[in-house]
Amino acid sequence: MWQWFFKLGSPKWFYELSGKWLPWLVAAMSLLLVIGITWALLFVPPDYQQGNTIRIMYIHVPFASISLAFFPLMAVAGTITLVWRMKLADMVAKTAAPLGAWFTALALISGSIWGSDIWGTWWIWDGRLTSMLLQFFLLVGVISLRSALEDTDAAAKACAVLSIVGCINVFVIKYSVDWWNTLHQPSSPIGMAGDSANGPEIWVPLVIMIVAVYLFFAVSLILSTRNEILQRERRSKWVQELLASA
Amino acid sequence: MLTADGLFCERDDRILFQELSFRLGEGEVLQVQGSNGSGKTTLLRILCGLHDGYEGEIRWYGEAIADQEENFFASLLYIGHRVGVNKVLTPLENLRWGCSLQQQVSDSTILAALAELGLHGFEESQCFTLSAGQQQRVALARLLINPARLWILDEPFTTLDSDGVAQLENLLRQHAQSGGSVLVTTHHKLSLASLEILSLD
Amino acid sequence: MTEHTTTAAAFRATLARDLLIAYKRKNDIVNPFMFFLIVATLFPIGISPDPQRLGEIAAGVLWISALLAAMLSMDNLYRADYEDGSLEQLLLSPHPLYFMVLAKNISHWLVSGLPVVLASPLIAYMLNLPADAYFALFMTLLLGTPVLSLLGSIGVALTVGLGSRGLILAVITLPMSVPVLIAGTMAVQQTHNGAPLTGYLAILGAMLLVSITLAPLASAAALRISIN
Repeated sequence: MWQWFFKLGSPKWFYELSGKWLPWLVAAMSLLLVIGITWALLFVPPDYQQGNTIRIMYIHVPFASISLAFFPLMAVAGTITLVWRMKLADMVAKTAAPLGAWFTALALISGSIWGSDIWGTWWIWDGRLTSMLLQFFLLVGVISLRSALEDTDAAAKACAVLSIVGCINVFVIKYSVDWWNTLHQPSSPIGMAGDSANGPEIWVPLVIMIVAVYLFFAVSLILSTRNEILQRERRSKWVQELLASA
Repeated sequence: MLTADGLFCERDDRILFQELSFRLGEGEVLQVQGSNGSGKTTLLRILCGLHDGYEGEIRWYGEAIADQEENFFASLLYIGHRVGVNKVLTPLENLRWGCSLQQQVSDSTILAALAELGLHGFEESQCFTLSAGQQQRVALARLLINPARLWILDEPFTTLDSDGVAQLENLLRQHAQSGGSVLVTTHHKLSLASLEILSLD
Repeated sequence: MTEHTTTAAAFRATLARDLLIAYKRKNDIVNPFMFFLIVATLFPIGISPDPQRLGEIAAGVLWISALLAAMLSMDNLYRADYEDGSLEQLLLSPHPLYFMVLAKNISHWLVSGLPVVLASPLIAYMLNLPADAYFALFMTLLLGTPVLSLLGSIGVALTVGLGSRGLILAVITLPMSVPVLIAGTMAVQQTHNGAPLTGYLAILGAMLLVSITLAPLASAAALRISIN
């Protein structure tokens, strides 16, 4: 178990293994994306209340659900960086932050487009939107701290501390914003997912899209981590050999 | 007794030192030499436990420092480039705090130490009115007050006048004679009996 | 032979030193306080001098002004010590860094947070806060502003080594302060509507206890990283 754990910490090992997995992940992702999008756009029946607008759900819900995973991911990676000083964990944390900001932004934008139709406005201070916006700010904080610190090692540890603190904070923010929101708006606006997803013809494509977006996330994370590995290990022998053979 | 074994340190893709080993015994003074940028300050900060970007082992009386930080810090006195003198406070107030982190000191002890280092009459002036050399002396007064066995001093001679240099050299000699250890970086030629030199070039 | 100090003595010495420095640099006390007053003054000018409307937003205005004042004053917390080397001495003390950081945080709150709390009823009066909300506002600020100092300390500790860091500090600290802001302003609004205050004070008290326990640990870790 531990041996496996430390082997995982070797960038070279990760680079080789992820290289083998990548084609399969990309294939699965493409397949699911094509099926999911076709199904969602062409075959899902229009909602009895929202009509065709409901189709945005198939983009928004997957992005929104995965956005919540970024801070826990970065906090775990940060803990590994601080405790075991594993370089790979920091490379993952470093690439996860901007990805997280993009995913959060996409969730916000798609939610806003959806809201423009069902709420009649592009923005309301809904609990979910507000806490998502605050999470976006926290991610920007991590990214700007990373770019401000020149020393890689110091940046790794500082961002690890900030990610752990931020992860706790994201949960506290989420609960407090929900609480704030319910007190301000006793009748919550139309539920975004959940309410409409009753029949299998609605939720099966949603599950497919969620899995597809998770795979998309995995592929993006692996690709940018590989990029980071090459950059940081550029002086090592195996990268030199890899470049020479390419 | 401080021992370092196989120290390796790399900064910004440049190796500062590798396979660096030394032993600093009781009653010894170790002078670290090297050109600018050779890693003298980094080495001192590593030994103090302020910098952890290194590989290798550092032991204090045979035990790793990480396992006995409290004990090690209690026997360490470090004066760095930035001497740790707050400019708003007076020398007396600075030393009251600086020393109280390690041991209980009475004001009379502090005043005697300040007087010995030629700061009589400046005890109550705010430190921003003092010259760089005088501020250095305020920091060095801790050497007279603190009974720490290990002194780690980073360029302590730079801002001192010739009297100050002689006085500090004397302090190092006395400390070594009474069984203490000193690790010092300086370009100054020290005339001490128990002097060892460690070159980083 | 001299005696080693206890952690309690080192804690007291650090607290006394920071208070003394603040006393000698009067700006540290006056600036955050003046900033608080000025920001609070901008709201009636920017929104409306109408007493009715001001009364509705008074609690939020006071809380946001207190939050910004706390943030502004944060920079002093470790910067001078970082620059003159005192921070290294603090890190090399044989006492747990947690208590040293806590001492500095407490001193910071006494100097920059407490005056704001004490002045809040006056500003509240000028903003026409309903009379029954004064106690809630005062108590929530009293419990909430130390949390702001403790959280802000983490952000400052992470960025103390940076040359220019104004905006980064704000981006890191302000979102973290949102739960405190929510609890504080909600307490004032809801007690005005007749809800009991104790529940809100319990929540803020819990936030204070959690941040006293955890935040100095994070600050201490951040300081060790920044000084590296």
